[in-house]
Amino acid sequence: MSVAMSLHQRRKRKNGVMMALCVIAAGIGLAWLALILGALIYKGLSGVSLAVLTEMTPPPGDAGGLLNAIYGSIVMTIIGIVVGTPIGVLAGTYMAEYGRFSRLTTVVRFINDILLSAPSIIVGLFVYELLVRPMGHFSAIAGAVALSILVIPVVVRTTEDMLNLVPNALREAGTAIGAPRWVVIRSVAYRAALSGIVTGILLAIARISGETAPLLFTALNNQFWSSNLNAPMASLPVTIFQFALSPYEEWQQLAWTGALIITLTVLGLSIFARSLTGRREDR
Amino acid sequence: MKPMLSTDLNAADTTVEKAKIEVKGLNFYYGQSKALKDINLSLPERSVTAFIGPSGCGKSTLLRVLNRIYELYPKQTAEGQVLLDGKNILDRSQDLNLLRTKIGMVFQKPTPFPMSIYENIAFGVRLYEKISKAEMDNRVESALKRAALWNEVKDKLNASGQSLSGGQQQRLCIARTVAVKPEVILLDEPASALDPLSTAKIEELIDELQADYTIVIVTHNMQQAARVSRQTAFMYLGELVEFDRTEKIFTSPREKRTQDYITGRFG
Repeated sequence: MSVAMSLHQRRKRKNGVMMALCVIAAGIGLAWLALILGALIYKGLSGVSLAVLTEMTPPPGDAGGLLNAIYGSIVMTIIGIVVGTPIGVLAGTYMAEYGRFSRLTTVVRFINDILLSAPSIIVGLFVYELLVRPMGHFSAIAGAVALSILVIPVVVRTTEDMLNLVPNALREAGTAIGAPRWVVIRSVAYRAALSGIVTGILLAIARISGETAPLLFTALNNQFWSSNLNAPMASLPVTIFQFALSPYEEWQQLAWTGALIITLTVLGLSIFARSLTGRREDR
Repeated sequence: MKPMLSTDLNAADTTVEKAKIEVKGLNFYYGQSKALKDINLSLPERSVTAFIGPSGCGKSTLLRVLNRIYELYPKQTAEGQVLLDGKNILDRSQDLNLLRTKIGMVFQKPTPFPMSIYENIAFGVRLYEKISKAEMDNRVESALKRAALWNEVKDKLNASGQSLSGGQQQRLCIARTVAVKPEVILLDEPASALDPLSTAKIEELIDELQADYTIVIVTHNMQQAARVSRQTAFMYLGELVEFDRTEKIFTSPREKRTQDYITGRFG
């Protein structure tokens, strides 16, 4: 009896130590996030004003805003998503539905996983060779293409995973009622996996809206307002990169503010995506 | 007028009934392994036939051949003949979607679609019929009544089908199947995931439905087979051991293996 008790005591102590270690590790992870957010808010918030949203990036030494950079980021992100999402969703659909048992799916999944973890600067260089060099100049189009290449693997992966979570029994039920395969996919599988697929797209937006490397060699940057897709275009990440490295105080301040804007946007999107997935799990 | 066929394997008490489905020399393979061995049986129209047997005996496989749902998966092949009203449905020219509107299926686990109760039923109807909203309302109502679910859901037709209880979901699936007006209904252990009360409701429903439909039910539960079916097929290791009137199977089976199974000596 006493042996059993001491064993129990020892286990309890061990459990306490392990739990403390886990809590500390979680705390460290959270602390960094809090520190980054804190620094951004502390340094960035002071620069937030209406001018940030209404004025162009200034020349050195002048006051100004980030309008052209914000606009450029939004435009290139939208084009990247609009181009990348259908390709990603359709490829994911092939892998989870039509090609579920095919060897091609295994190959595509493997390559997609490589693409998913490929450094984004490689994608930038690839698009540089593919578009910028033949065209002879940097352009927003090239930037958007580079972003869409980053969108595809994220969307392929989440679409396939989410469709694979749809129980086969549901597909059989759709088939058993006489629905052709495409109707089963559209009306049953997509519907069951919808929130997951949307989450994947939101995560892709979050990912590309902070990407710098693929834009450096493609859209480059632009000090001025430009809505011409065939010309270099400013973007928040590249502007932050340039301004943060500059010796001018106004630019550095704008870089902090821009960083705050991106971080809050990405954070907001991620929370929204989480809430969508959460709702699905509740059901 | 279609020819009347003798459906009873037992020559002693031959009854003359029209066969809805006739299975002739059916073999089925999962890849290399043979899951059904030379199955021959004929299912009379407008009556309930039960497939019983231990797990892995091939009863679900046989059911899944009847609407060719096995074709969703690769490396599953059937050879032989399955005649529906005299026409071989294993024929390559058979349109699978049309076949499945004629032969409905309800699964072991309730599978409501991720849509409203109303849409769950309208979905299948809409696939092959263009009807007005009023007609559709009628169709949904009569299908739900048929499945004895109308009174429980009539005030919440727009609620998600997945919000219903398990027994209700299963009756929704039966309503959905009935709504497309099939000729045959296949039930793959339809009550095995349900509580006794829901099970009783489903069995009652089966009893009513046989007036209009040819019903085939796979069940693990021998009492259920005895309660609901008119013919019972006992299968073992991919073979059809015995097929006869249900009373006969349960009171005086010809085969020793059948006797052993129904008395609980194995399986």
